[in-house]
Amino acid sequence: MIQAFSTWLHSTRLSWAMAGGVPWLWPLCETLHFIGLALLMGIVSVLDLRMLGMAKELPLGPLQRLMPFAILGFTINLITGALFFTGDPTQYIHNVAFGFKLLFIGLAGVNVILFYVTGLYRRVDSVGAGHDVPAAAKVAAAASLFLWIGVMYWGRMLPFIGNAF
Amino acid sequence: MMQFLTSIENTAFASWVRESSSLWAYPMILFLHTVGLGFLVGLNAAIDFRILGFARRMPLAPMVKFYRVMWMAFWINALSGAALLAADATTKLMNPVFYFKLGFITVAVINMILIRRRVFGNPSLDLSPVTSGAKLLAVTSLIFWTGAITAGRLMAYFGPVSGAPGLKNRIP
Repeated sequence: MIQAFSTWLHSTRLSWAMAGGVPWLWPLCETLHFIGLALLMGIVSVLDLRMLGMAKELPLGPLQRLMPFAILGFTINLITGALFFTGDPTQYIHNVAFGFKLLFIGLAGVNVILFYVTGLYRRVDSVGAGHDVPAAAKVAAAASLFLWIGVMYWGRMLPFIGNAF
Repeated sequence: MMQFLTSIENTAFASWVRESSSLWAYPMILFLHTVGLGFLVGLNAAIDFRILGFARRMPLAPMVKFYRVMWMAFWINALSGAALLAADATTKLMNPVFYFKLGFITVAVINMILIRRRVFGNPSLDLSPVTSGAKLLAVTSLIFWTGAITAGRLMAYFGPVSGAPGLKNRIP
């Protein structure tokens, strides 16, 4: 089924455009993918490091107002990532590193969802300057840093552990 | 000149980085370079956004603490970058795009130091509105880091082919 899907995907005009049909589209998306990476990692690490005790003078409520930039970075990367996949599906579907990258993104997503649905978000939101977040939030922050760094690891390993590019 | 670059490329270390099939060689160094980018550029951008008025209710002054992480990320990238450069000295140092990347990084780091001194060095920071000079530095910071990332990525598409054996440049 995945094979059929990827064969169909590869036959689309979008795939043709990505795979060189439109000159410079692939490198442009790669550049955007790195800009998105920096946006996502920057905001996520500010939040996570603060929750882990760095720059404790920062109140968490207003700090979380930077989150839209992380979401922007993630969205840029979701779109450009989907475009890479569309451009050359076969180099990803048989790639172990790609599987792990998706797994780590999924786990990072679960981590975020748990942060909201367990009400941890609201408890953290009211933590003011100089105060510690609940222990559960520190675990979530450490998991977040580990998982996003892991996502970068598996992304970088696409050509080395897998056989992309 | 070329002879000098070749001799760098032929050192035991540079050859190991380039040719070893170990994941601890080229792949790990490239990964470290990516992590450093994420933290260095990302934290700079977070500070820039706050200077530009986002998350305004958050005090700006405590963000100076992130400079330690930013400098750590900078050195991770300077060292990993030097290793990747040594591995491909004859191609990367002959690539004009590399010098654009280096230029952008130089002005971006000077910009980062200026923000540290002029913005965070202001004793009445957070007591009065952010100055237009500070906002200008935040804008140039975002522009310079975007330039550095773009030039870094485009090194794979202009000039002589380099990178780990088997890594191919895609013809755009």
